[in-house]
Amino acid sequence: MRHVTAIASRELRSLFVSPVAYVVLSLFAVLAGFLFLASVLSFDANLAQAQQFQAFDFLRQLNLNDHLIAPFLQVMWIVFLILVPAVTMSLFASEKANGTEELLLTSPLTIWELVLGKYLAAAGFVTLLVGMLGLFCGIIFLYGEPEPLKTLSGLLGVWLVGLSYAAIGVFTSSLTRNQLVAFFIALPLILMLWLLSVFADLGGATGAVGSESGLSALLRWLSTSDHFQQLIEGLVDTRALAHFAFMIGTFLVLTKASVESVRWR
Amino acid sequence: MIEALGVTKRYGDLVAVNDVSFKAEAGEVVGFLGPNGAGKTTTMRMLTGFLPATDGTAVVDGHDIFDEPLAARRAIGYLPETPPLYPEMDVSGYLKYVARIKDVPRSGRKQAVERALERCGLSHVARRVIGSLSKGYRQRVGLAQAIVHDPPVLILDEPTVGLDPNQILEIRELIRDLAAPREGEPSHTVILSTHILPEVEAICRRVIMIHDGQKVLDDSMENLTRDGGRLEDVFARFTLRETGADAAAPEGGEEAVQ
Ligand SMILES: Nc1ncnc2c1ncn2[C@@H]1O[C@H](COP(=O)(O)OP(=O)(O)OP(=O)(O)O)[C@@H](O)[C@H]1O
Ligand SMILES: [Mg+2]
Repeated sequence: MRHVTAIASRELRSLFVSPVAYVVLSLFAVLAGFLFLASVLSFDANLAQAQQFQAFDFLRQLNLNDHLIAPFLQVMWIVFLILVPAVTMSLFASEKANGTEELLLTSPLTIWELVLGKYLAAAGFVTLLVGMLGLFCGIIFLYGEPEPLKTLSGLLGVWLVGLSYAAIGVFTSSLTRNQLVAFFIALPLILMLWLLSVFADLGGATGAVGSESGLSALLRWLSTSDHFQQLIEGLVDTRALAHFAFMIGTFLVLTKASVESVRWR
Repeated sequence: MIEALGVTKRYGDLVAVNDVSFKAEAGEVVGFLGPNGAGKTTTMRMLTGFLPATDGTAVVDGHDIFDEPLAARRAIGYLPETPPLYPEMDVSGYLKYVARIKDVPRSGRKQAVERALERCGLSHVARRVIGSLSKGYRQRVGLAQAIVHDPPVLILDEPTVGLDPNQILEIRELIRDLAAPREGEPSHTVILSTHILPEVEAICRRVIMIHDGQKVLDDSMENLTRDGGRLEDVFARFTLRETGADAAAPEGGEEAVQ
């Protein structure tokens, strides 16, 4: 465990010395700020319109959680799709390019300590980003009364999505010495895992996969999108939590195998 | 001390290192010589646990590199062919990190770093960012990294490459000092590869030569240079024969011309 924190803290320090962290953070702040503003303005427009047309049913349904916070947090999966791999791409690739892999693999570390150290650093950065989102949501609490638990559930969803992207990014970084290659393998991999439920739907529609069959259900469970959607809507389901734990665990195991295989090549 | 027991490395059909065995005791400085592509770096990578041997094993300070990998690695200081540096870190921060992952206890870390800085002549650049240092200074940081945890066995792959003549002398002095220190300090085993034969004559008590992945010579410096013999001649005699693998081809051609 001492080794894990040593590796993670070195990684975070290096990240904040390099421009990458600051580029990603400022990009995120601007993007999230813009999306937040857009959500607020759209909520406002909805409200004004409903009042103007005296649509009382709609007004009764309109609330800060479902019509402001949820849409705001929901788009974060796309923002993270770009930003998280940009942060993780260097984690292993730069060790290979620098030759520092030779230092790590000849030190008294286990490969698990190495992989967990790297992952911890990535997870720390994701947590920082989600913390920033938390601040934006906090602003709404100053002016209105959204449900705190529902808000937390949404933030939890974004955090878990970020953590699973980070595991995928760490894995692709371990495959190559080239950071850009790591980035461009991570993107389609994340997208594919996200869209598995679409394949399940398509399969169901064309009859290739029975819509109620086990395969279809499995694809749907493996797909990230539905679980994320549930959490955004305030539904904390153990099946969703199990999905994210499975994703993170699987990609960390794959990363370990990949780092180990360096020795056998 | 360190003992190699028939280490072998195959890359597909190429046998980079073929059944190499030797033993080096504490206090010894062993020169590891051979032409380009002979298999020196590959052997060192196997001894340090970076590459797994296809066959054979090694015992470092009493620990088998396969059975007790962590204990064996703890006992080794290793300077790879390319110094393993993080360009964005400063020198003392880097050494502190290395000390940490090499299991130097927290209480002794600061002192260990300062000692390594001092021994490698780095004290005045301790706060500099590694990426801004000259090649020679980066090489010194690589060396400092290898000795920071004061391991009983040092494996140095071309340690004086890129250093200026003064620094070469200082580093040689340091290596000699590590092997046979003043009273009360533990002596180290040093294995170093180099292409500079005068360097070997200056600091090594023993010479191991490999050629085409095979050990062709293992003798004391004393025996080799008795009767005014020159190491150059010994090197030529043992490494110009029997060509085979890729790297040895040019020498074979030369021999044919003569
Ligand atoms: N990853 C690899 N895949 C295939 N062959 C390799 C690999 N690494 C090294 N070799 C081969 O192994 C042989 C030994 O290489 P090695 O780097 O150990 O030589 P060396 O004695 O250190 O040479 P030099 O003096 O140039 O540093 C060479 O023929 C080399 O081409
Ligand atoms: Mg070499």
